[in-house]
Amino acid sequence: METRKETKTRNKWILSALIAILVLAIAGCGSDKANNSSNTGSTNSGSNAAETNAPETVVKFASDAIYAPMEYMDKDTIKGFDIDFIAAVMEEAGMKYEVVNTGWDTMLQSVQQGTEYQAGLSAVSITDERKQTYDFSVPYFESTNMIMVKEGSDIKSALDLKDKTVAVQTATTADELMSKIMGVGNTKLKRFDSNAVAMMELDNGGADAVVADIAIIREYIKNNPKMKLVGIKDTPNFGSEYYGILFPKGSELKAKLDPAIQKVIENGKYEEIYKKWFGEAPDLTNLKNAK
Amino acid sequence: MDFNFDIIWGYLPLFLRGTLYTIGFSIASIVLGSILGLGIGFGRMLKNPLWRWPFDVYVNIFRGTPLYVQILIVHFGLVPLFYGSTNALISGVVALSLNSAAYAAEIFRAGIQSVDSGQREAALSLGMTRRQSMRFVVLPQAIKRMVPAFGNEFIVLVKDSSLLALVAAPEIMYWGNTMKGQYMRIWEPYLTAAVIYFILTYSLNKLLAYIERRM
Repeated sequence: METRKETKTRNKWILSALIAILVLAIAGCGSDKANNSSNTGSTNSGSNAAETNAPETVVKFASDAIYAPMEYMDKDTIKGFDIDFIAAVMEEAGMKYEVVNTGWDTMLQSVQQGTEYQAGLSAVSITDERKQTYDFSVPYFESTNMIMVKEGSDIKSALDLKDKTVAVQTATTADELMSKIMGVGNTKLKRFDSNAVAMMELDNGGADAVVADIAIIREYIKNNPKMKLVGIKDTPNFGSEYYGILFPKGSELKAKLDPAIQKVIENGKYEEIYKKWFGEAPDLTNLKNAK
Repeated sequence: MDFNFDIIWGYLPLFLRGTLYTIGFSIASIVLGSILGLGIGFGRMLKNPLWRWPFDVYVNIFRGTPLYVQILIVHFGLVPLFYGSTNALISGVVALSLNSAAYAAEIFRAGIQSVDSGQREAALSLGMTRRQSMRFVVLPQAIKRMVPAFGNEFIVLVKDSSLLALVAAPEIMYWGNTMKGQYMRIWEPYLTAAVIYFILTYSLNKLLAYIERRM
């Protein structure tokens, strides 16, 4: 049996230990960033020394490959429009690269740090909020959000969704748009880890509609004809948005990749890849004008 | 790294609302799970292997598969079957209760079986019925031994409830994910969630220590 006094001192110890851990955790994040520039410098030169005389390093892209057809895992290889696109861009830029499926959270954090991964490639829409923390490449893909409902639903536009139950994937622009329409704290807006789960919620009657990128919805409707689903486009409320490659703030890579991206879009390579994944030629007018 | 406290303040009301849900899920599940677990625990002590079998299977399945998968099965399979459509609140309580019942059953069984059989024999020889010997002699001793294990299970349950964000149950982690989505930042939402969970489990710890001392 321990006395009350002993318990008290022990508690004090535990409390101060905990505070110390939290402080260290926060400070740790800080020092990471401080080390960034020097780290990248040393690893670069280190790997170069062993290779040929070409001053070349492998650019590592992080990705969250659960977003077919943009990027997804086919067994253990990463595939998708973005993957083919970046292959063309990196060939144009003459750089070695690698795309790794890290998951969304790890991608965000590691691209922000910029040490292990120098860029993020994951159908990331360019938004002003995100620009506060990251740099983006020039836009490389035009997209818009689409509403998916079951046949016979009375939902016709985004504004009809206001007091319905809507399922989205967390952190997508669909989440952002619906948060604005329905309110961030509205629990009738259900956010899921992936669109696959959001669509299952619709299928099981837990949601009236799913909002997601047009490519995702079309792919899903095409793959599940038995479910009798309809996609609704709402251009006035869901405008065009553009995907960009995610860079850490102040990245030097942006200056190298931007011209290569533009080249790929202009020389017809882009159209080829687009047709392969979407079965139709892209309308590039908006994309070329978007900045 | 710039740690942005402003966005945490903005989300604080939602985190607090989420905390209420987390507390609700945890309490409802530990209560329902314990009741169910008590029955299963007694079932596991049956002499006849044939009667005991379903209880063994239950415990093995729920302890042997990831809670992550159990939540998905309950949410998209079990609940729509009985309720007609999915409902995150129902599936949250059901999934956590079913899961914690398996652990509670083992705590009950271990607690009861840890009481020396001589105690029960003595009670029976004094003329008590089997029921009386269980109620007045074995259980009071067993319960005292179960308290630490139960406290442990409760604390684990509080943290496990964070997995319910998977099916959009509006608890703490769900709002953390939402915040992460809006600002594309990792540490602000997750460390805030961690601090709230810590406050919850630390208070629970204190409460359990108090109960243990009192017994």
